[in-house]
Amino acid sequence: MTDKRQVAMVIDLNKCIGCQTCTIACKTQWTNREGMEGMWWNTVSTSPGEGTPKGWEKMGGGFRKGKAQPGKLPKQGEFGTAWNFNVEEALFQGDKHDTLGPIGGDPNWGTNWDEDIGGGEYPNSFQFYIPRICNHCTKPACMEACPRGAIFKREEDGIVVINEDHCRGFRFCQEACPYKEIYYNTVTGTSQKCIMCAPRLEEGVPTACSRQCPGRVRFLGFLDDEDGPIHKLVYKYKVAMALHPEYETEPNVFYIPPLAPPSFDEEGNPIDEDRIPMDYLDSLFGPAVGPAIDLLKAEKAKKKAGGESDLMDTLIARNWLDLFGPFTTNPKDVAKTLEERVQNRQG
Amino acid sequence: MRVQKVNTIAEYTDPAAPGWGSVEVTEIETIPAPLGLQPTEYIQVSWEERPYGALEQASLRAVHDGTSIAIQMIWEDPQPSTGAGEGFPDGAAIAFPVHGEPELMQMGSPEAPMQFVQWQASKKQARSVLAKGIGSTLPGAAVGETATGSWSGGRWTVVFTRSLAGEGESANLVPGSNTQIGIAVWNGSNEERAGIKAVSADWTALALDR
Ligand code: SF4
Ligand code: SF4
Repeated sequence: MTDKRQVAMVIDLNKCIGCQTCTIACKTQWTNREGMEGMWWNTVSTSPGEGTPKGWEKMGGGFRKGKAQPGKLPKQGEFGTAWNFNVEEALFQGDKHDTLGPIGGDPNWGTNWDEDIGGGEYPNSFQFYIPRICNHCTKPACMEACPRGAIFKREEDGIVVINEDHCRGFRFCQEACPYKEIYYNTVTGTSQKCIMCAPRLEEGVPTACSRQCPGRVRFLGFLDDEDGPIHKLVYKYKVAMALHPEYETEPNVFYIPPLAPPSFDEEGNPIDEDRIPMDYLDSLFGPAVGPAIDLLKAEKAKKKAGGESDLMDTLIARNWLDLFGPFTTNPKDVAKTLEERVQNRQG
Repeated sequence: MRVQKVNTIAEYTDPAAPGWGSVEVTEIETIPAPLGLQPTEYIQVSWEERPYGALEQASLRAVHDGTSIAIQMIWEDPQPSTGAGEGFPDGAAIAFPVHGEPELMQMGSPEAPMQFVQWQASKKQARSVLAKGIGSTLPGAAVGETATGSWSGGRWTVVFTRSLAGEGESANLVPGSNTQIGIAVWNGSNEERAGIKAVSADWTALALDR
């Protein structure tokens, strides 16, 4: 059999502009089928904020000192259901038209609902975006919770997938995942989640969210590939870290923590104080975030002064394809050979 | 528990069929399926402090016509749950040993499997399931299984039917002989599913009229 390997992603929060291109790339690729209307396998939410599902960080799950922790079952309303609009009534009824709006009254939550609210007090308000997908954890709480063994972690790339033929819709996985990255499809009666674009990766094509990102935010590759950017950022420079490591599932999606301009005093002069409170970053990324921020600041200053910085060059990613480790194939090329392969099979 | 011989079970498939009135009732006591036997640590810790399987008993009646068996099961449930949308459905199951002496609580073993017919308030179709231990259920052999449920006045009445004869790895029920029956009930409004259920603590003897 193949060696055990782990595909991982590094998301640079300093470059994410919150455009949601990744969200839509994923939506059109994977969650445009029946029963998936309210699903977002990729979300981008403003931090600080309640996120998706609403208040997910307070819903429990994961492990503490190795012991499974009870979690809350997230409800569709907490993720936000899909809104259908009165397009016909509003746009095609001549003069007597209604105003365009969601059918069935005003929704009160949805993915990215609290966009750009953020935290802090003017003039020291702050916010940044956190894109999230399933973390394809090394210790997947979802997998360990399932009484049917319907969730497994692939040996060859560590992708965590749900076998929907075995899933009976019990949803213990939804409760147990501390990141609340699993959705329930009421049409199929099964749980569904991000598959790290497994069929694309198998063809050498990057994940849709990474490839479509205009900000060059999302690095991809194998964790053990010492020549790839992931290994460098996670292990060599230690500037990429898991979100909420205290949940103990050992995520394989890592984040470059956000830098921010300095705070201002009452007269509006910049002072030597972090705009994004360190204890807030600590609460998201754990104690490793302090040294990472220090190193990022130092390397940035070095680069600004005209010096060399391999770390900054890696993060800047001048060559787009350098982002994706071994996954540099153009999906178009695969589509072509796929056609040929199908034709060959048909003889 | 006796399985009375009747002309045809066709007259008993409706939960409210009048014929059931003259069939002997057997009360089967139920207990919460033990927490320690739940197959994952997560399920154990998340239900440690949550009551489940509160049902104490169900009333059963059974008839057969030489080809098929019909079992009526009645239990109290003040808050029915059809499992619409993201709700969990109410459910019930009747189990029989396939061969050997399966432990009911352990849901059988590879050497001594058990077969059950499951009803869920969310589905029209009954399911035949083969179990060879906890967390190892597989689709069971088809035994013409059906289940029809109806809720009124704070209780569910469900009629299960299946053929007496079973092929392959399935429980074979023979008129004039004895076997055993076990039951399980899931309370959907309490989010009961999988091993979180009320179960009969042990098998009840089942004697089929000749
Ligand atoms: S993020 Fe959640 S769903 Fe994904 S592998 Fe980890 S525990 Fe499972
Ligand atoms: S596409 Fe890239 S920049 Fe846009 S929201 Fe997603 S991660 Fe951020």
